[in-house]
Amino acid sequence: MARVFDMIVSAVLLAGLYAMMAYGLGLIYGVLRVVNLAHGGVIMAGAYLGFWLHERFGIDPYLCLPLVALASFVLGVALYHGLVRRLPRGAAGGPASLLLLFGVWLVLRNIAYVVFTGNDQTIRTAYSSSSVAILGAHVSVNRLVVLGIAVLIAVAMHLLLRHTQVGRAIRAVAQNADSCTLAGMDVHRIYALSFGIGTALAGIAGVLLATIFSFNPSSGSSELLKSFVVVVLGGLGSISGVALAALIVATVEVFAILILPSYLTTAVGFLLLVGVLVLRPGGLFGQRVLA
Amino acid sequence: MTAIPPTPRPAGVAFVAACAILAILPPVLQLSPYAHNLMTLAFIMIAGALAWNWMGGFVGQVSFGHAAMFGIGGFVAGRLVLSLHLPAPVCWVGGAVVAGLFALGAHPMLRLRGPYFSIATIGVGEASRLVFTYWERFTGGASGLSLPIDGDLKYQLYWWALALAALVAAASVVIRRSRFGLALLAIKADADAAADVGISATFYQDLIFVLSGAAVGLSGGLYASYFSFIEPGDMFGFDRSIGFVLMAVIGGVGTSLGPILGAVVFVLVRTYLLASYPQLYLGLYGFLLILVILFEPLGLTGLYRRVLRWSRQAKPAPGAASP
Repeated sequence: MARVFDMIVSAVLLAGLYAMMAYGLGLIYGVLRVVNLAHGGVIMAGAYLGFWLHERFGIDPYLCLPLVALASFVLGVALYHGLVRRLPRGAAGGPASLLLLFGVWLVLRNIAYVVFTGNDQTIRTAYSSSSVAILGAHVSVNRLVVLGIAVLIAVAMHLLLRHTQVGRAIRAVAQNADSCTLAGMDVHRIYALSFGIGTALAGIAGVLLATIFSFNPSSGSSELLKSFVVVVLGGLGSISGVALAALIVATVEVFAILILPSYLTTAVGFLLLVGVLVLRPGGLFGQRVLA
Repeated sequence: MTAIPPTPRPAGVAFVAACAILAILPPVLQLSPYAHNLMTLAFIMIAGALAWNWMGGFVGQVSFGHAAMFGIGGFVAGRLVLSLHLPAPVCWVGGAVVAGLFALGAHPMLRLRGPYFSIATIGVGEASRLVFTYWERFTGGASGLSLPIDGDLKYQLYWWALALAALVAAASVVIRRSRFGLALLAIKADADAAADVGISATFYQDLIFVLSGAAVGLSGGLYASYFSFIEPGDMFGFDRSIGFVLMAVIGGVGTSLGPILGAVVFVLVRTYLLASYPQLYLGLYGFLLILVILFEPLGLTGLYRRVLRWSRQAKPAPGAASP
């Protein structure tokens, strides 16, 4: 029984991590209908930026989150105006945007190789290995913070999208960009803003991941995949859907240990992705994703 | 829809001539073993890139998971060599058949289009890498498989690989110009509209994916014989899948010439950059990819066509008004 409780706790913590990874991808897809293949690369870049700030200036990884978010935001806006904006939107731009952002990922990966070498790194702090006991289950402080930030960001995103003028604009553009243009809105500004926020969220996710796992320039593909599972399962473009889907994916993975050898649980995530895409292509909330 | 240009006869003649020249090159030029091997590798990669292009270019389904079929072809061939001691070509074909069947197993995924298909292929590719890495009895796990080293075979591999590349290239042209190729183009343009005129997207995609998988599996088998040592992390790796994408897209996606150019450039650049700047080559390719998508969607082939157009325009009327 205690074991089951432990597993539930670790599933919830893992869910926080997965939700954190997926927000950015979900937002960008929801607004721009572009699958940001550079997502994994941005997560990796965020991890390195946090690592560098920590090693070089001794800034606590959690304190450097705003800096990383800002830097990633600027990167996202630049990527949008420099590259993504020039692509045809919709079905015609599908493979092109995919390949373009994939190119961005390769470049980011290469920059990280050149600057930081290919060695595995991790952000080690004084409290890295400390844990607290919650109802008898030992919980790593870092993971708890990740869960807290994931919840915080979900609330913040909800407030932003539902209760501010900018949020209303973002939702309007996501629903019908053409009408927004007709109504005199600067659609590109909203797109750039959404791409920036999505990239900033990915950068934050990178730092948080770096406090828990080791990473290297090639990291990012499993994060991208995991995010994609979550985003697709949650119905693309819905923040609460992403959070719920993260919980489902994490639970399935954690409990898969009961019936599968541990090294195969990662493959479960990938199979879940394919299964979800094939069997429930609309996500849990019934959006159509088949072009 | 763009019309398919009629076969320019000179191209067919040039193709046969090129194959013939390449076939007699090693004895005539007394190629060094280094050049000999490099060209063998280029032929293997040409076959793989062309086969990727059947799916990624002809149907527009960008796969980031072709390494799965490459690895399966390689490991099945390797296992057949090791346990049954069959002649290498038989083992390659065996690997190709299994890789083709694996591709057929992807049938449910073919309902997906665009980014969904692409991401699902990343999932399948990574899942097969994990499964095959841990399936030690078959693949030898992380330490891989060593095949018997056979100097004669390695030398002859040049012609086998050339034959494979020529076969896949010829098949590309034939498919592209056949009814089958037209059906694929129709699916690429609009799967729903294609279905309305009786073109089953599922059936044709299944068929081309199996063919593509088998051809990539075949090149995986030759690759296994070429290196005599294969390990799942390399054969099934994400970088391997990326390689096929890059070769085809930078060369010119959807064309039959493009993947050939792309593969040759890829092998050359990779070999030289890996020697001097081991980490630079993927970034360079990423940069090229961005440039290609933004400025020249047909890649090197598009560039080549542009040069061809310019030279034609420049020739006849120097005084005529240019557009």
